[in-house]
Amino acid sequence: MNPGTILVLEDCDEDFETVCDAARRAGVTHHLRRATTGDECIGMLRDGATAVAPVLVLLDLNTPQGDGREALRYIKQHDRLRSVPLVVLTTSANPRDLGFCYDCGANAYHVKPVRHDEHLRVLGEIFHYWLRAVALPQKHEFPARYVNLPSR
Amino acid sequence: MPAPDPPLPWASGLYSIKRHGVSLTNCDSEPVQTPGCIQAHGAMLVLRLSDLTILQVSENSAELLGETPAALAGQDVAKAVGAAGAARLREVIDREPIERNSLYAFTLPARGAAEAMDVCVHTVDGVAVVECEARRDGEEGGAVDYFRGLRGAVGRMQAANGLREFCLRVAEEVRALSGLDRVMIYRFHADMHGEVFAEAKREDLAPWLGFHYPEGDIPRPAREIFKRIWIRPLPHAAGPLVELVPLANPDTGHPLNMTHCALRGASVMYSEYLANMGVAASLTMPILRDGELWGLIACQHNTPTHFPYQMRSACEFLAQVATLQLKNAEESEQRAYRLRLEGMHQQLVATAAQDGNLVALIDRQPSLLDAMEAGGVALYHLDRWWCAGITPEPAQLHALAEWLNARPDFASATRPVFCTDSLPQDYRAGAKFAAVASGVLAVPLTRARRDMIVWFRPETIQTVNWGGNPHEKPLVTGPHGPRLTPRGSFELFTESVHQRSLPWSIVEVDSALRLRMLVMELVAARALRELNGELTRSNGELDAFAYMASHDLKEPLRGIHRHAHQLLKSAQSSDDDRKRVEVIIRLTVRMDSLLDSLLHFSRVGRAVLDFDEVNLNEVVEEALEMVGVRRGDGTFTVEVPRPLPGLHCDRVRVREIFSNLLSNALKYSAPAPARIEIGYHARGETASRPAAPAESAGHTIFFVRDHGIGIEPRHHEQIFLMFKRLHARDDYGGGVGAGLTIVQKLVQRHGGRVWIDSAVGAGSTFYFTLPFGEAPALA
Repeated sequence: MNPGTILVLEDCDEDFETVCDAARRAGVTHHLRRATTGDECIGMLRDGATAVAPVLVLLDLNTPQGDGREALRYIKQHDRLRSVPLVVLTTSANPRDLGFCYDCGANAYHVKPVRHDEHLRVLGEIFHYWLRAVALPQKHEFPARYVNLPSR
Repeated sequence: MPAPDPPLPWASGLYSIKRHGVSLTNCDSEPVQTPGCIQAHGAMLVLRLSDLTILQVSENSAELLGETPAALAGQDVAKAVGAAGAARLREVIDREPIERNSLYAFTLPARGAAEAMDVCVHTVDGVAVVECEARRDGEEGGAVDYFRGLRGAVGRMQAANGLREFCLRVAEEVRALSGLDRVMIYRFHADMHGEVFAEAKREDLAPWLGFHYPEGDIPRPAREIFKRIWIRPLPHAAGPLVELVPLANPDTGHPLNMTHCALRGASVMYSEYLANMGVAASLTMPILRDGELWGLIACQHNTPTHFPYQMRSACEFLAQVATLQLKNAEESEQRAYRLRLEGMHQQLVATAAQDGNLVALIDRQPSLLDAMEAGGVALYHLDRWWCAGITPEPAQLHALAEWLNARPDFASATRPVFCTDSLPQDYRAGAKFAAVASGVLAVPLTRARRDMIVWFRPETIQTVNWGGNPHEKPLVTGPHGPRLTPRGSFELFTESVHQRSLPWSIVEVDSALRLRMLVMELVAARALRELNGELTRSNGELDAFAYMASHDLKEPLRGIHRHAHQLLKSAQSSDDDRKRVEVIIRLTVRMDSLLDSLLHFSRVGRAVLDFDEVNLNEVVEEALEMVGVRRGDGTFTVEVPRPLPGLHCDRVRVREIFSNLLSNALKYSAPAPARIEIGYHARGETASRPAAPAESAGHTIFFVRDHGIGIEPRHHEQIFLMFKRLHARDDYGGGVGAGLTIVQKLVQRHGGRVWIDSAVGAGSTFYFTLPFGEAPALA
């Protein structure tokens, strides 16, 4: 069975590589889809036959052409996507960014460590927690009244 | 050089009104105290005080006393007033305080053609002056009636509200007592010109209320006399005068000083002046304020009359009461004016505060113009003039402001104010707009922006009714030859007192200064708000900058770190290369923590503290946990000799203070196991307290002591500097050198100081105070 897709918004090749490395080390079998701009990310999620239905989204905030904030807002404003766990990974430690992301409904916020081993460790923990440890709603278990929840 | 004064006509001998004229040009030197003559309705005897021998007699003694002056000269006074009268005089002279103070002695009965006479006596310069005036029928019982009248009058005067009402009451009461046609309260201004301030009169007479009269109308000698006497009766101004015989006291050769004589002959100037006003009789009483002549109670009658002694006494008494009560009345009036002014000013400033604009002082209703009595008011604010009422032109205002700003009194620290009632006297260019602004009252607001408020008062011509034109005295030919006399006409016409306004009162100047304070408080509050706003903005920008810098610096740092890592992993590197790459990695890690510290420090200085009741003993335990050591692991001992006191502080920040100091103590104790002591000196424990900065007096001093390597005194200040490390980078556990800087900042945020006591090899003690967390000391 296809374990699903992890959507990664990351413009930095090395960081994406680190994500892939960490996923390998964690034994993650999911399909990793990468977007490098916010627009691209939103385009992948937009309704339609080819739309990606991820089980986890990793967002970098400061990306070109529509940054991670826009993608974050898009995801959390759409009923179909709102319940997908969304983890922000950024170099910004600015409390304003942090506040903004949680306000928009981000599920977690991590400052990317400079140290490579730290970075790997953090990613490993993210994968473990959001793919294995946590309990999430299944699509068909959505009560109908939540589906049409008006967007904020 | 001024020409020498011409010799006075009486310079060669004794002066007598009857013999010598006086002109307007010399009336300021008229010997009004020694006129040589008395009013002809009375008779006068001048007696040697020692034996009551008659020295001088008025020349009308034959008609009034029955003996000619020649018959009386050198005789005992009994010859004129009888033995009983002489005895009574002696009694009064010996027993009563009559020096320069005339007192009723007895009534001389009618004898033949001579009417009954009231006899008054006073002493002056070694003589007794006996004044006799006819007593009319029906005056005997007067005293009781006057007393009854006075009692009511004093009560009504006291009940008056404010100065003007008080003066009106005085005028009314004096008129009721005297029955005279017109009673005025004549008030002197600072320049000694006078104003009819209150008036009670016969209904058919034209009012003179509000008329102003030039200073010369009541010349200086007359004003001087009014400081020394209580009443001046002139029952028949145009009546004849009689000389004393002889003019000089035969004992001394001096003329008689008649200052205190009721019968003193009036200056020719004054009697003509009254005649020109259609006044036949006058009764004048001074009102003094602090020994200075404040004004006069001026009573006038249009026909010659008689002033009974009792009536005069009653009026005199009222004048004295008025003098006593004047100060109160004036003060209560000033208080009322002050309150009204300040109330309005406060209201105006409150409106300006609401509007957020000082211009509200001028362009709203009511405005500054409705408070102070002024013709116009101008505010310089936001680099332009805002005017209400009648003011000079903006260009004139600019020039005036420049002149004002250059004046030292305008920059005075205590009373920065300029005030004048004659601007052109100080400021030549002011002559051009003297009509609207002879009077100027100005206070600076903000020195830096040259803001100010200026009130203007027009030339007095604009506001005052002159009772006659003081500069056009008609030329008439009088009985003593051609000369100037007081005006013949009292039609209302105005004449400028050149380039002069009504003066500013102390109350007005004080209110202007008080208004200045109110405005400055408002401006300061607003400036503070603006500064706070700017500070908040710049703090916000600084925050944004710090995060941006940290983000933008970390981005490439991460790149370097990652690539170095990849290099390390690739197999073809030599050992040498690997070592270099490892250094690169270490450096990136170090740079990372430097950036973190910088960011943390920048936040510590501005973050809002969260004050709460804190148990410091718990905080110390938490701090130990934070620095990653555990009690009993053998690497250190921490002694807390007595439990630390509770404190009202930000728990997280104070924990950070302790954790930084503890981590410092642990580091610099190596390699030996650290012995750390944590304690405090309460503010009362003076004996044991360490040497401390003055600001620490009265506060609890906390300390963290180690027995480690210590610090040379010359480094004691540097250790608190950001990123300052005294030792090699990786010695003593490394670290970026931000810990003590952050401690200092956190202590400062609690209002305290941190300092060190240390010597090499003797360990270090860090002391600090947290004043904001303590209960205030009992003073």
